[in-house]
Formats: sequence, structure tokens, C-alpha cells
Amino acid sequence: MSDSALSPPAAGVIHDLGYRGYDGPRLGRGQIIRALTWHSFRSSFGIGRGVKGKIIPVLAFVAICLPAFVNAFAVARGNARLFGYDVYVPSLRVAVVTIFLAAQAPELVSRDLRNRVLPLYFCRPLRRGDYPLAKYLALTSALLLLIEIPLLILYLGTIASAKSGGAVWDQTRALIPGLGVGLMWAVLMAAIGLVLASLTGRRAYSTGIVAISCVLTFILSLLLIQSEGGTTATSTGARIAGLFSPFTILDGVRVWLGGNPQVGLVANPGRYGPLYGLLAVILLAACLGGLAARYRKVSQS
Amino acid sequence: MPSTDPPAVIQTRVLTKVYPGGVTALDGLTVDFAPGVTGLVGANGAGKSTLIKILLGLIRPTKGQAKVLGQDCETSGEKIRSLLGYMPEHDCLPADVTATEFVTHLGRISGLPPTVAKERAAESLRHVGLHEERYRLIGTYSTGMKQRVKLAQALVGAPRLLLLDEPTNGLDPAGRTAMLELIARIGAEFGISIVVASHLLGEIERICDHLVAIDGGRLLRADTITSFTQVSQVLAVEVEEGVAQLQAELAARGLAATTQARTLLVPLGGDDTYDVVRDCVAALSLPLCRLEQRRHQVEELFRDEELDEEGVWNV
Repeated sequence: MSDSALSPPAAGVIHDLGYRGYDGPRLGRGQIIRALTWHSFRSSFGIGRGVKGKIIPVLAFVAICLPAFVNAFAVARGNARLFGYDVYVPSLRVAVVTIFLAAQAPELVSRDLRNRVLPLYFCRPLRRGDYPLAKYLALTSALLLLIEIPLLILYLGTIASAKSGGAVWDQTRALIPGLGVGLMWAVLMAAIGLVLASLTGRRAYSTGIVAISCVLTFILSLLLIQSEGGTTATSTGARIAGLFSPFTILDGVRVWLGGNPQVGLVANPGRYGPLYGLLAVILLAACLGGLAARYRKVSQS
Repeated sequence: MPSTDPPAVIQTRVLTKVYPGGVTALDGLTVDFAPGVTGLVGANGAGKSTLIKILLGLIRPTKGQAKVLGQDCETSGEKIRSLLGYMPEHDCLPADVTATEFVTHLGRISGLPPTVAKERAAESLRHVGLHEERYRLIGTYSTGMKQRVKLAQALVGAPRLLLLDEPTNGLDPAGRTAMLELIARIGAEFGISIVVASHLLGEIERICDHLVAIDGGRLLRADTITSFTQVSQVLAVEVEEGVAQLQAELAARGLAATTQARTLLVPLGGDDTYDVVRDCVAALSLPLCRLEQRRHQVEELFRDEELDEEGVWNV
């Protein structure tokens, strides 16, 4: 064959098919929200982004799953399960959730603010609240995976070595409230992370705002709990000391709802339990309201 | 305003927008946009962007009504937005994704099924002239390429009407020409109506069939571009030298010429006016370099405004 047939097509060869319109079916608003949620969910793990975007999600997963793997192996060699499904490794979970949130909540919202992409969303068939809704659903799902997967690893590892059906049933009964606590964490922490991250389009600032808010409030609550005699104390001060950070509020709700008060982050809230529940709901409502208000303002500017 | 035969793509009736601060951006604007390429011209702050936002259903008018493709902007915002493509004036592209990914994603948000979104993203990018580059990160693009991506994302949803806000912003002269040719081609070959908002009259004139001029939120004039540039009953005469002599000579022969820069403007009575001018020039032996019937210029609309040579407002 001649050289020309073997060489790649010249840059000028364009097969112009002409413009074609599209008259086929279009997705409804619900499906568009689903598409945006799926896209955001993927990007919260750095999928569709460069290698840099995947580092923190991967490290977070490795860090939080490691104890579950180790314990599952230990169980297979005849040892007992060390970590509870409802508290898991409390300080590790706080640290990993904080890091994941501080890194990935800005990825979902600050990025679009920074690049001024929002007008491109709002000029499409979405309503004002749909964008923050999709982002919230995406981040909640991502956190849910991050928190629940180690529990499932622990559970599967444990029942793999179970001697009887009764033991499997016991494990399953213990797992279910654990999954419920994980859901609670994901629902509240995603709202907090997003509303804080959406305050600014500067990625570094919003990461800082999320991280500092989570860490400082947590340290404040821990110090208060320590100064009131630790997690075993029963004074009023100790019982309400956990009300100052979202993580300790969540743990207070867990104990109030019947979780084991011997393990975890806070002292048994006792009769102040409903206060923890109420505060969790108020915090969630405030964050979601703030998020909606934030995007109502953005779409007009 | 003359009504056109095909139904208007955009109709506004006494459209008024007063912002909370008390700024009146639109002041009783009533205008129809005919199908085709329409220029929306006005100085910065004339109300162009406010009009576009109302048409997109992003802000509500204080008073009056706006319809796009027969749908009311206030009640059918979503329906309208599914038929519109919008290219904003400012930068709106993320740097860390490829053009293909970004335009495909926005195609999905426009309501296209996944495979259709992919196909249309590839086609839109091809139509705006991005071929292999479309697999590169947008952050590596030149300004001209970014403008093309902005146009492609407006096209991806298969719109029936495009709203382009200052599409030549930030482009060099060659880039401007390429972008304008692209817009003209989309209007002519793709069968999509286009509204181009711009403060650059010269550009608008080149590609538009119609012109809507607004100023201070009010309609200045809306008409076809040809009616803006009709021939006038004025003859423009330019000579290398002796402008004053020629003016005096013409006055002596009964023609009251006025000067505009180095050009003499002679009222055109009939064919014999040409003869009189020729005779005057010949009698004075002046080097004649231009003799033509003058056309109205779009800029005349804005004579009161401060316009520089290229038809750009000095604001």
C-alpha cells in the first residue's frame, strides 16, 4: 500500500454530518436530580477527577476499614469481636469523618462556586432547591458508605467464624442498631459539612472552616467531659457536656436510644437524652435550611 | 414595532424590574424578538443581563410579562429552560475536567438520556471546532477554546433558542471573527434562533438579522438590521485637500454641504446632484477620493452616547 494509506488521517479530514437536533424523550426533573446526585456521589470519591482527588477518599477508607479487617482476622483465629457495631472505634471514626468531610464537602460545593458553574445548572430545567438537594443526597450516601462498610466487614468476618445459627442471629441483631447509628451520623454530618463548605468558593478556606468547626467543637466537648469526671461520671455537668459538638451529640443520641453507655464518647446523658435528640434535629434543620437559603441567594446573583 | 409573520420567539410586555436596592434595570420594556439571529445591544447597565435572567426564569419581573417560545417565564420556567441554551458572559468552566466530560454532564442536566448526552456532547464540541482537544482538561485551554466550550454547553441540550451573553468577551480579533462566524452558522444552518447580547455594535451588525436596542431599561428601537442601515438621502464626498473650497463652491451652486470630520455631506436631491459635485471638483481641480450615497449606521441610534470609532461605549 502507499504511504498515504498507512499514515494517520490528516488533520483536515472532517466528516461534517451537519447539525442534528434531538426530538427524543427528555428526562423529568426527578431523573435530572438523580443524574446530578450520581455525578456528585462519584466525585465525592474522586471518580472522574485526577489521581489527586482520590488520595483522601482512599486513605480514609483504608484507615477506617483497617481495624475491622484486623478484628475480623482475629475473630477467625478464635478471639472475640473487640469493636461494637454502634460505636466501632469512636475516635478513629470522628477523625476519618472529619477529614473526609473537610476534603470532600468542598469538592462538591465550593468547586462549583469557585468556577462559577452554578448559572449553567440554574439555566437548565432544575429548581432552586434541586442542586443543594442532590449534593446533600450525594454526600450523605458517601458518608454512609464510609461509616457502614467497616461495620459490614466486621460483621461478615465475625459470622464467617460463627459456630451456630444463633450466633449469626446475635451478630445481626447487634449490627442493625449499628447501621442505624451510621445513618444518623451520615445524615447530620453531611448537612453540617455542606453548609459550612458552601460559605465560600475558596477551597482551602472551606476545607479549613469544616475541619476547624468539627475539631474545635469536638475538643471543647471532650475537655468539658473530662473536667466533669469523664464518660463514667453521672453529674449534670457531665451529662450535658456532650452537647457542644455534633459528634458527641450523635453519641448522646445513641446512648439515649438505648446504646451501651459504657463505651463511646460521652457520659450517659440520662434524663438529658431528649435534649441531645432535640439538638440533633435542630442542628440538621438549621443546616439544611441554611443550605437552601444559600443557593436561593446564589441563583439570583 | 412592525409585527413579523412568524411568531415571535420572545415577547415582553411592559416588563419592569426594580431591584431591592431601588435600581430600575428594566423600565416597561415591550418588544418582540423574531426568529433568526437577533442582536440585543445596549451599554453596560442597559438591562441586557436582567432581561436574559428574566427570560431564563431565574429572577421574577417586578411588573409585566415575558414569554419565551409561547411559554410564560414566571409559570413555565422549567419548560422554557429545557428549550433554551444559555452562554453566560463570565467564566463558568471548571479547570480540572475534560471538555467532553463537562459538556456530557451538563447534557444530562439538560434532561438528555446518558447515551444521547454523550453523543450530543461530542457533536456540539465538534460543531464549535473542538476536535481532539476535547479530551484535554479545560484548564489547559486558551480563552478562545473556553468560549467555544461555553457555546458547546449551550448547544448540547438541543435548544430551540440560544441566549448568548457577550460571546466574544476576551477574544482577540481573529477569535472574535471565528466566534461570530460560528454564531452566524448556527443561526443559519442549525435552524436555532439566537439572541446575542453585546455592547459591540460593529459585531452585532455583521451577524444579525434583527436588532433590539435598549437603553436605561427602555426600548430604543427594534427592527431588521437592513432597516437600520438603509441608504439615506445624503451623499458623502471626500477630497484629499480643499474641503473648505469645495464647500464654498457647492454653496455657490446651491448645495448646502455640511462637514463631518474630513467628509462633506451633501443633501441628495436627484441624479443631477452627482453632476454638480463632479463639476465643482473638476472646476477646483481637487483630488476626489470618495463619492457615495451614505447608509444609515446603527451607531446613529446611540449618537447621544459616547461611542468610540469601533462602536464601543466609553462607560
